[in-house]
Amino acid sequence: MKRVWAATTIAAMMVGASVAGVSSAYADVVKFGIIMPFSGPFAVLGKQAKEAVEAFQKLNGKTVNGHEIQVIWRDEGAGDAAKTRQFAEELILREKVNVLGGFALTPDALAVAEVISEAQTPTVILNAATSIIPRKSPYFIRISMTAAQYISPLGGWATKNGVKTAYTMVSDYGPGIDMEGEFTSSFERGGGKVVGKDRVPLNVTDFAPYMERALQSKADALFIFAPGGAPSVAMVREFERRGLKQAGMKLMGSGEMQEIFLPSFGDSVLGAISSNHYTESNQRPENIAFRKALNDSTGREAVPDIVAVAAWDGMQLVYATVKSLGPKFTGDQAIDFMKKQTINSPRGPVSFDPKERDIIQNVYVREVRKVDGKVINVDIATVEQVRDPWKDNNPNAK
Amino acid sequence: MTPITQNPPAAVPAQSFRPSMLWHALPWALAIGIYFIADGYHGLGTNIMIWILFAVSLDLALGYGGIITLGHAAFFGAGAYCAGIFAIHVNNDPLLGLLVATLFAGLLGFITGMLILHTRGETLLMLTLAIAALLYEAANHARWLTGGDDGLSGIRVAPVLGLFRFDLWGKTAYLYTLSVLFVWFVIAFFVVRSPFGRSLDGIRQNAKRMRAIGTPVWWRLVAMYALSAAMAGTAGALMAQTTRIVGLSSLELLTSGVVAVMLVLGGERRLYGAFIGATIYVIVQDLAGAISPFIWMFVIGFLLIVIVLFFEGGLMGIIDDVVNRLKGRGRKDQRS
Amino acid sequence: MTQFLTILLDGTSYGMVLFIISVGLTVTMGLMRVVNLAHGAFAMIGGYIATVLVLKLGVPFLLATVLAAIAAGILGGLAEITVYRPLYRKGELPQVLLTIGLCFVAIAALTFFVGPTPLPAIVPAWLDQMVDIGFRLYPAYRLFLIVVGGLLAFIVWLIIERSLFGARLRAAVDDPQMARSVGMDVSRMFTITFVGGCALAGFGGAVGAGVLPLEPFYALRYLVYFLIVVAVGGMGSFRGSLVAALAIGIIDTAGRYTVPQFGGFLLYLLVFALLLWRPNGLLPPKSVA
Repeated sequence: MKRVWAATTIAAMMVGASVAGVSSAYADVVKFGIIMPFSGPFAVLGKQAKEAVEAFQKLNGKTVNGHEIQVIWRDEGAGDAAKTRQFAEELILREKVNVLGGFALTPDALAVAEVISEAQTPTVILNAATSIIPRKSPYFIRISMTAAQYISPLGGWATKNGVKTAYTMVSDYGPGIDMEGEFTSSFERGGGKVVGKDRVPLNVTDFAPYMERALQSKADALFIFAPGGAPSVAMVREFERRGLKQAGMKLMGSGEMQEIFLPSFGDSVLGAISSNHYTESNQRPENIAFRKALNDSTGREAVPDIVAVAAWDGMQLVYATVKSLGPKFTGDQAIDFMKKQTINSPRGPVSFDPKERDIIQNVYVREVRKVDGKVINVDIATVEQVRDPWKDNNPNAK
Repeated sequence: MTPITQNPPAAVPAQSFRPSMLWHALPWALAIGIYFIADGYHGLGTNIMIWILFAVSLDLALGYGGIITLGHAAFFGAGAYCAGIFAIHVNNDPLLGLLVATLFAGLLGFITGMLILHTRGETLLMLTLAIAALLYEAANHARWLTGGDDGLSGIRVAPVLGLFRFDLWGKTAYLYTLSVLFVWFVIAFFVVRSPFGRSLDGIRQNAKRMRAIGTPVWWRLVAMYALSAAMAGTAGALMAQTTRIVGLSSLELLTSGVVAVMLVLGGERRLYGAFIGATIYVIVQDLAGAISPFIWMFVIGFLLIVIVLFFEGGLMGIIDDVVNRLKGRGRKDQRS
Repeated sequence: MTQFLTILLDGTSYGMVLFIISVGLTVTMGLMRVVNLAHGAFAMIGGYIATVLVLKLGVPFLLATVLAAIAAGILGGLAEITVYRPLYRKGELPQVLLTIGLCFVAIAALTFFVGPTPLPAIVPAWLDQMVDIGFRLYPAYRLFLIVVGGLLAFIVWLIIERSLFGARLRAAVDDPQMARSVGMDVSRMFTITFVGGCALAGFGGAVGAGVLPLEPFYALRYLVYFLIVVAVGGMGSFRGSLVAALAIGIIDTAGRYTVPQFGGFLLYLLVFALLLWRPNGLLPPKSVA
């Protein structure tokens, strides 16, 4: 029985191949499978990535040297790691993708490590930010950021700018705890003192009691970290409403101060300091082109976030790979090629640490200001070419 | 609050053979057939079978036992974490791990069942929900053991019986899951047809009367709940072993909701309803997710409303209706 | 002492939002015996409508919340007539499933039409400031919530305890069969109550957006809290839901303030223990007590 099937399949494939051969002799399809959340609490990440990818393909065409680059999407839902792994298997085995990408959350990326190692599929991480991920498989390469990387300049900046004491308030989960540690160590290295800390359960959105504690601590600044969305919105609103700002406390954060979220806060967020690797309103020509492509493609005034820019750069990386290596490449060849690239990204120059396959990029300290009636981030300091400090501090952690 | 109008189906002697019994072979033959022709779909198939097992377990508690619960993910997650942690720290033999996880989840079901099963209705619903929420918080806090929000990874599973390695293609996982599902299904099949299962029919329809005729209602419910929990634990353990990762989402409210959705989609109190419901749900999610990921939640939500309003027996009920009409019979409730 | 009063105010204002949204749920669940998991969706829709009115059309905040309540009430009425009515005779499971289905549809629709990001705050400037309340500066918005919640509680109390409709309603909750047999139009009462409950939920979603931020997942994210209020207070009990909502607000706030590391556990443990001790809640109506 099985043999009959095999014979039929082979025959069908031969017919198919000969038909295809007539139309074009060398055109191949390169498949890029992207797994991101499109439903559930993190749906905004998937939407951003998809819009950026579509804008990229509208601008640059869907082919590279005649080879079609086909992007296949899968919805990982509300951070279901087991499902992510199943999608990765399916994309590799059934769709035969050449490159895999995506992963909003760390568990999703960790879940596919074993699969991509076994299948030797080059995999571009478009968001997940825990430092250790690329060490879990030699086929990972990260084009987003690590949490430690983009927060590391903030503590130093604060101590140099008159902040002597700080209170930290983070969501009680992996990245939040990493952030707390990274901020605390860089802040105390600069001579600052963390006078209190709170870890807030993820499902909490009434931050009144925590803000009250922070207010009582009388620290110079409050450092916050919460996943984008309801928790961070509620955090910042309560900061304002409870009068921490009036009391002279400085609000410091990172991803929650992205431009896309700023309208949710209202004017209460003006003056907040954040540290991030992409400032949406920067005037680099690459960024202007990126935002124009995004506006043209979506037909509205689109505000990109760090996922959009990572997806955009991920596409650049894949296009460059196909351009140099052609449509057929092994995982090792692709990763070897990718990790040597430097990209002129909308966020600034981007390269990779070839040993760790992790991103090296500028990190910007920004302040939220009102410019021409729009609330945006304005760069006030730049730290160039930041490596992931965690890896340098933990050279052997697996 | 099921109306008492349903006639308990006439007892069929288990031994006498009837041609219609051949239908029971259909899903299994299909599952084995798919194994040979569906290269690249084995992961999906395995996933579906795990959800089937989970949905059947819920059918035992909710469908047959009438125990209204929105916290069944507690046992699924407990089984998954138990299997994962056992494989990492104690022994990575899959069958041993499966057994330990099943017993653990069953014990958990037994203990919590004893605590909560004297309540009914919305109170019971809230209690099951609270148990799942407590477990979720516990798993989230015990990062040293569970990996917290990052999920439990690094699970290594030894070959099944020392012979069959878990391959990337998921063929071993497929057959392994299918075998476990079959064993549990046979157990469930006989349990719901046993006098014990019949007594639960009675309890569901009129607990007071059953108590009056001397049935130990509470103990029967606890026993069914524990059995169901053990089965859900097996499903969780299978998920842990075949995907080698356990996430906090395995304990979420949404997971409890999804499995209930599957059950009702297929039709409760039929065992096979879970098969259809889980298959349709996972495939719709897969397809709708591929076309436009935004719409799958809409499709599932809409399907649920339509099913509940117009097709009370779920998809299996529709099939029954069609079959009966073909046979020229009137509509008759054939649930068992 | 200052600290204690602050916790009390924070907890009360939080509890009031829970009360405004949940009181409709408790009455409908008590009266109709429907496990309504879509109640949060009505609150969410109310909040969304108010936000759109304020931001896109420039409607004043208070008027927008009232309009949102009306819209949520109308939607609730439509839902009651079309999908809820056939549910009353079904078991708990179909009820759970259908209402989850409604939640899914609402979440998907709002994600699709409005987008997955949280909505901007619509609390107006005159509320978004600090006022001196003697011992400290305190957010005006939270005081506003307490006042509005108290006012609504009083109005609902008037309706339920002092009006003829309320008397009938209480009778129907206590003994639906008897109410029917003495000739009350219970099904009309269902619709009216459901509309009222949904309107309150929509209003709560709109005014409470500063405490419970609006986003498509709202319908499921806070559902557990609403259900806890109903279960702890005693299904169908108006006074119970007020006591439960305030208790949950205050205990949850105090717990997070004093022992933040147990944040998530405390509430669930208490609810679990309480329901084991009093399965019908704190102040159950006569029919179940």
